[in-house]
Amino acid sequence: MLRSTFTPFFSTLPAKPRLPKPLPRTIFRASTQCPPSVRQNASLSMPAPIFPPPTSAYVHLPFCRKRCHYCDFTIIALGSASNQPEDDPRMVNYVQLLCREINATKAGEKTYPPLETVFFGGGTPSLVPPKLVSSILDTLRLKFGMSSDAEISMEMDPGTFDAKKMKEMMELGVNRVSLGVQAFQEELLKSCGRAHGLKEVYEAIEIVGSCGVENWSMDLISSLPHQSPEMWEETLRLTVEARPPHVSVYDLQVEQGTKFGTLYTPGEFPLPSETRAAEFYRMASRMLSDAGYEHYEISSYGKSGYHCKHNLTYWKNKPFYGFGLGSASHVGGVRFSRPKKMKEYNGYVENLENGLVDWGESNHIDAKDMATDVVMLSLRTSRGLDLKSFGATYGSSLVLSLCEVYKPYVESGHVVFLDEQRRAMAVNEEDIEKSLAYIRLSDPDGFLLSNDLISLAFAVVAP
Amino acid sequence: MVFLSRASKTLKSPKKLSLLQNHSTLNPLSSIFRRNPFFNKFNYDHFGLSQSFCSHSRQNSKENAIDLSQFPTERIRNFSIIAHVDHGKSTLADRLLELTGTIKRGHGQPQYLDKLQVERERGITVKAQTATMFHKHHFHGADNNGANEEPSFLLNLIDTPGHVDFSYEVSRSLAACQGALLVVDAAQGVQAQTVANFYLAFESNLAIIPVINKIDQPTADPDRVKAQLKSMFDLDASDALLTSAKTGQGLEHVLPAVIERIPPPPGNSDSPLRMLLLDSYYDEYKGVICHVAVVDGKLRKGDKISSAATGQAYDILDVGIMHPELTSTGVLHTGQVGYVVSGMRSTKEARIGDTLHHSKSIVLPLSGFKPAKHMVFSGLYPADGSDFEALNHAIERLTCNDASVSVARESSTALGLGFRCGFLGLLHMDVFHQRLEQEHGAHVISTIPTVPYIYEYSDGSKVEVQNPATLVSNSKKQVTACWEPTVLATIIIPSEYVGAVITLCSERRGQQLEYSFMDSQRAFMKYRLPLREIVVDFYNELKSITSGYATFDYEDSEYQQSDMVKLDILLNGQPVDAMATIVHNLKAQRIGRELVEKLKKYIDRQMFEITIQAVIGTKVVARETISAMRKNVLAKCYGGDVSRKKKLLEKQKEGKKRMKRVGSIDIPQEAFHELLKSS
Repeated sequence: MLRSTFTPFFSTLPAKPRLPKPLPRTIFRASTQCPPSVRQNASLSMPAPIFPPPTSAYVHLPFCRKRCHYCDFTIIALGSASNQPEDDPRMVNYVQLLCREINATKAGEKTYPPLETVFFGGGTPSLVPPKLVSSILDTLRLKFGMSSDAEISMEMDPGTFDAKKMKEMMELGVNRVSLGVQAFQEELLKSCGRAHGLKEVYEAIEIVGSCGVENWSMDLISSLPHQSPEMWEETLRLTVEARPPHVSVYDLQVEQGTKFGTLYTPGEFPLPSETRAAEFYRMASRMLSDAGYEHYEISSYGKSGYHCKHNLTYWKNKPFYGFGLGSASHVGGVRFSRPKKMKEYNGYVENLENGLVDWGESNHIDAKDMATDVVMLSLRTSRGLDLKSFGATYGSSLVLSLCEVYKPYVESGHVVFLDEQRRAMAVNEEDIEKSLAYIRLSDPDGFLLSNDLISLAFAVVAP
Repeated sequence: MVFLSRASKTLKSPKKLSLLQNHSTLNPLSSIFRRNPFFNKFNYDHFGLSQSFCSHSRQNSKENAIDLSQFPTERIRNFSIIAHVDHGKSTLADRLLELTGTIKRGHGQPQYLDKLQVERERGITVKAQTATMFHKHHFHGADNNGANEEPSFLLNLIDTPGHVDFSYEVSRSLAACQGALLVVDAAQGVQAQTVANFYLAFESNLAIIPVINKIDQPTADPDRVKAQLKSMFDLDASDALLTSAKTGQGLEHVLPAVIERIPPPPGNSDSPLRMLLLDSYYDEYKGVICHVAVVDGKLRKGDKISSAATGQAYDILDVGIMHPELTSTGVLHTGQVGYVVSGMRSTKEARIGDTLHHSKSIVLPLSGFKPAKHMVFSGLYPADGSDFEALNHAIERLTCNDASVSVARESSTALGLGFRCGFLGLLHMDVFHQRLEQEHGAHVISTIPTVPYIYEYSDGSKVEVQNPATLVSNSKKQVTACWEPTVLATIIIPSEYVGAVITLCSERRGQQLEYSFMDSQRAFMKYRLPLREIVVDFYNELKSITSGYATFDYEDSEYQQSDMVKLDILLNGQPVDAMATIVHNLKAQRIGRELVEKLKKYIDRQMFEITIQAVIGTKVVARETISAMRKNVLAKCYGGDVSRKKKLLEKQKEGKKRMKRVGSIDIPQEAFHELLKSS
């Protein structure tokens, strides 16, 4: 066709974007009360799920003495001065900005439900003076209210606190400690660039115990460079001996842009081979289970009653606030990450105060997106995917296709089908579709291959 | 034919359209044509004009612009140029077209007659083309009625594919010629394809004019080439023309030699019409356009003709010559070569070598017609399973212009729906793949090429097997014998490589038929080789062991009985149909091991252990295992990690989507591509 005949044809077309418009936040908020509207252009014909206002808050405190060799988080290295001046202006200014952000946050509800969990992550939150932590907690209490039995967690590193500081933190309401021990070998601590040694590890454990912190987690890293199976076994044994009610075990991820990223290639010496790294994972699963911990999430172990409530909000795909540099929030179905650079974060807070920030602008709520989030997050847990609620929200045909996809992996032992009473089912059982209530990944085989298994589900949910 | 699609594209542009609308302004030219048919006096844009002819010749009044009746057979010469690849055939053709004013120097693209992109890129000719030229020459043999004026001759250059895959097309094209220019590179000398083409021309009783080309090169050694021509072909050295198509040196002797040494076409103008169908192509506007050579009688627009091969009758809607593009003349006389448009709907109706005749008369068909013989088969599947319709469409469009490809739908458990295509040979297959990708943007996975075997079963039945996966042998129906196609290969190499080439040929189950020296430096060998052995990598291997100096050509030969077995590839015990091959029993183990090792390299570790086996019947000849993936886990996933981790898993999902699934095993497409490369 001639170009000239095309032009008028195009010009008569209304200028309509091809992609569905993002839901304006006002409409979305309305949908939390009204019957949800059916979204077009999603293969899943289902309503956007309803998100109540959050009852969890993540607070990012980015300060560290120095950057660890494996770390790619948003942090601010303060330098090696081990005695932190009580009023380092960088911390004071940051906390002020943070409190302004909390105050400027609009959740859209007239009254906010009180917070059930608060998590101070970092960085090294234990570097922050209690006085500043206090102002943050006060701001949160004033803004949202706080449940009397709220779980308030703080990541703490050995060598950054003494008994006095620990007690002060407890008085402010901190009632759960996530202790960054990582390893029980001096040489490993040194080679991964930790700012503390083994002595500080034992001191920290002693302080946590003597101060009566009942709910605490020992955080470990497996598959460190030069880590031998004997070292890992020793680490696990000493962990069990320290009797924390919770243990987090992270398999080292070599990230681009970190010191490890430039030095090492996964699976190659001095990092353990893939086979050995898998063996480390199995060893942790076996030893910690034997010691009475439940492996309730891919990297989390807890004694009964001590599972981390805050982290469970993530895995249950529940909403949460995020405050501070680079932190992520999940409010009203929208995931949003704050700027990672201080200057931009500053500007963000100013815009927020002036009502210029609209989280909904760059994101729109897509049923497929939601469904993949639910699948990805819930399959990380031992509870697994709750098919009843998943089916109710996203359609029973999707549940059937998921079952079909996973059947071979039930037989191979990577996936477990459970009924309402959480009894394992065989795939050839009659009426399996009727009585099947949960799908979970097996421990440790399924957890170890969770990426593959979850991406199989992705292919079903969002082909 | 690309010209035609080009022309139809240009029709869309307003500029060309205006040219068409204004064709009446060109009409005065036609009166000039009528008076004087010799274009070499004009300097006008042939291309614009001929494009307008292309789809509108029926509407304009150009017919009879050139009076072909002025050219009785004694003033017609039909010839072709034959040469080894890169010896300068296309450049020489360009120069002759320029010399006669048929195209203007610098106006046409180089390699004028090679219209396909693949032809230009590879420097080969795939489709036959014809071009009519007019040339004045004072020839004592011709009648001397106009003593002052040099008589004009009508010269038809019939360009043929040079490659053996197309040897049938070549032989049909040569059947329309009475002579050939045998072009030999002055430095490289006689090469394998020169030999093959010489014999084709020789067997067609053509007058052969040796042309030693590229004499401007510093390494040119015409005397050595003359000696080779004498020893190989018994051609008289004094007959050879020395030319450089590049510099123009010696070119002035070429056309006089064509006129003086090549006899006029022998046809009888009083006999009923018989014409030879040389090739055909499809034009979006006109339908099928056939290149034809009128052997006897006369053809006029409006005549009713029939095909001797199919019995189908057609009306001649348009007839003319290629000068160099479609130029309506309304008539073709005995001995003339041109095109006809006859309302054929598909090129499948236009069988190369067919005889076309007036429907009302009964004639003896011209000899030599054969239906296309497919020697190489391969499955073609869309790289992305959902693209089946797109591939189907692309293949349909392409076979419109290449009726020599056979296409049948087939399905594979590994690759889904696809096609089993039969080709004339390897080059033909390659060219088809390349055209699918270049001209139609199709992405395909092709299966290991196979040759047609003949199997005999215990119940006495015989089948031709074109797809190894379909070969079954069970207790009820046991294979009792097998025959495989062979070729006669010509290999020319510098003498120091003789040992290596003999080793290669015997590895490939070759049987030496001839071994001689062309001169002190070059050896000439003839082998009978199973076609299967040269299908995949023989030529590359030959080139690499001879530092690129070997030239190689082959012609189809008879079937020979062989012990050929089906080699299955099993993944976790499941046969992958698209990976099955038929191999010689003695080589089965080696090939099985190669295939299995390749697969091991290209299939990633998966959630369970994978066994790869190469199996003949129930006998495992090679085996490898890919151990299960140990770990693929994202250690932690908190609030801020969700979007990032999700992206990673999405990527993994997309990666899986591109793979082909057999049972629960994901096979990357590269694995299929790699298997193709092993014999």
